[in-house]
Amino acid sequence: MVDEGPIISVKNVDFYYGSFQALKNISLDMRAKEVTALIGPSGCGKSTFLKLLNRMNDFVPGARLSGEILVSGQSIYGPDSDPVSIRRLVGMVFQRPNPFPKSIYDNICYGPRLVGTRKKADLDLVVEKALRAAALWDDVKDKLGKSALDLSGGQQQRVCIARALALSPEILLMDEPTSALDPIATAKVEEWIQESGMSIVIVTHNMQQAGRVSDHTAFFYMGELIEFGATMDIFTRPREERTENYITGRFG
Amino acid sequence: MFLSGYTQKDREFRQKLAIGAIRLVAGGFLAVLAILVIYLAYQGLGAISWEFLSQFPRDSMTAGGIWPAILGTFWLAVGAMVVAIPLGFGTAIYLAEYARPGPLLTAIRLGVNNLAGVPSVVFGLYGLAIFVGFLGFGRSLLSGALTLGVLTLPTVTAAAEEALRQTPASFREAALALGANRWQAIRQVILPAALPGMLTGAILALGRAAGETAPIIFTASAALTLSAPESAFSEVMALPTHIFNLATNGTHIAATRPQQFGTCLTLIVLVLGLSLIAIITRARLRKGKKW
Repeated sequence: MVDEGPIISVKNVDFYYGSFQALKNISLDMRAKEVTALIGPSGCGKSTFLKLLNRMNDFVPGARLSGEILVSGQSIYGPDSDPVSIRRLVGMVFQRPNPFPKSIYDNICYGPRLVGTRKKADLDLVVEKALRAAALWDDVKDKLGKSALDLSGGQQQRVCIARALALSPEILLMDEPTSALDPIATAKVEEWIQESGMSIVIVTHNMQQAGRVSDHTAFFYMGELIEFGATMDIFTRPREERTENYITGRFG
Repeated sequence: MFLSGYTQKDREFRQKLAIGAIRLVAGGFLAVLAILVIYLAYQGLGAISWEFLSQFPRDSMTAGGIWPAILGTFWLAVGAMVVAIPLGFGTAIYLAEYARPGPLLTAIRLGVNNLAGVPSVVFGLYGLAIFVGFLGFGRSLLSGALTLGVLTLPTVTAAAEEALRQTPASFREAALALGANRWQAIRQVILPAALPGMLTGAILALGRAAGETAPIIFTASAALTLSAPESAFSEVMALPTHIFNLATNGTHIAATRPQQFGTCLTLIVLVLGLSLIAIITRARLRKGKKW
């Protein structure tokens, strides 16, 4: 395959909530099939930044963006970009597991049904594929009709991952996906991230997690991108003092 | 231990005191309710018979039954819900999901809540002016149902909005992130999750619609009809107005005492029955939806 350039390219992005500037002149490129971790103290803008990548901030009143974000070479804030199709291309997993109060099967099918997949045989296939990809198939294959809310927290989060994967997104955004999970469930999700081979952008509060799962790490502080580079470099020899102070636990 | 002057014994005693007081209040309330129901049953049960439930009143209402009033109340209550539920749920969806927070929304919500407290006789007069007079529906089942619908609209709306607001925002987020548009998220995810709670308001409203007296005196009810309601434009008898008429306007008030209590009992059982249907529906909808 020819190198098609970065899968996500962010150019000079400023972002405002009303008069508050949440992000200041952010530029970075992310490569396909890699895991990029976004780290930084609470309120630094990392979650805001993540939600720009699938236009989930559109729903926040008073939100305003300048600059450009390209996903697979397409400007997602351009005049003829369609947020709905962008969200199908860029899936998202949230901080707390949020399966719908429906069966496991119907949870996974939600996205495919939205795009018009109706045939039972097709849906069955999608469900199995997505659940296998989320490493959950063996746990739930006999109870697909059960409510997703009856599963454990870790399983619920993997249902959410499977639900996002069912649309075959090119990129998966994860907003602190393990912060509500116990250590064993966390380990399973992390393992999944490492083995998925997908393009993933993950926000995390957990330095060790960033170190374990990511190829590149971006450190945000007070709305600015302080440092972005290979995770190994960020954690062993950061260029910026603020990065070093944060990852060594001196603040944050 | 070091911060408060209370010993552990003290605190345990205070807790017992508080729980005891709460138990007492709850128990007292239940006792009042039980006495009411038992008294009604004691007084009314004697009047209840198949004839009472299935026939028209006879002999200046001292004999015969209340069938047309049962039918009238049933249709009035159902009609009121047909009006109030779509309008109320629609308004609630708008208020909870679409309206932008601000002074206008606050004003609308304040208005809705205040309407819920307006005396029913005011709604009766309103119904008389608008539905009976201006729109020319006359004194009829239709006018009565519309009036009761408007009367219960605030209750239905406020409860439905509250239920919608209590649906976790994460459901909406998840649907939107999967490429749903706003309406799809509402219809496919938020509404099904909120529906049981929304129905609670409708259940309360249903009971109120069945029991209201003043509004239908203005808009719908006749003291006596010689046939069952034939269309939406018929005048109807209704249980609450029938009780009122028996107890105040009859020629043999004392002689109709058993009928009065029998009608009360019937009304309560009818309201309970209608509510029960709604409650069962709600329980079925709620299955597997606790979050």
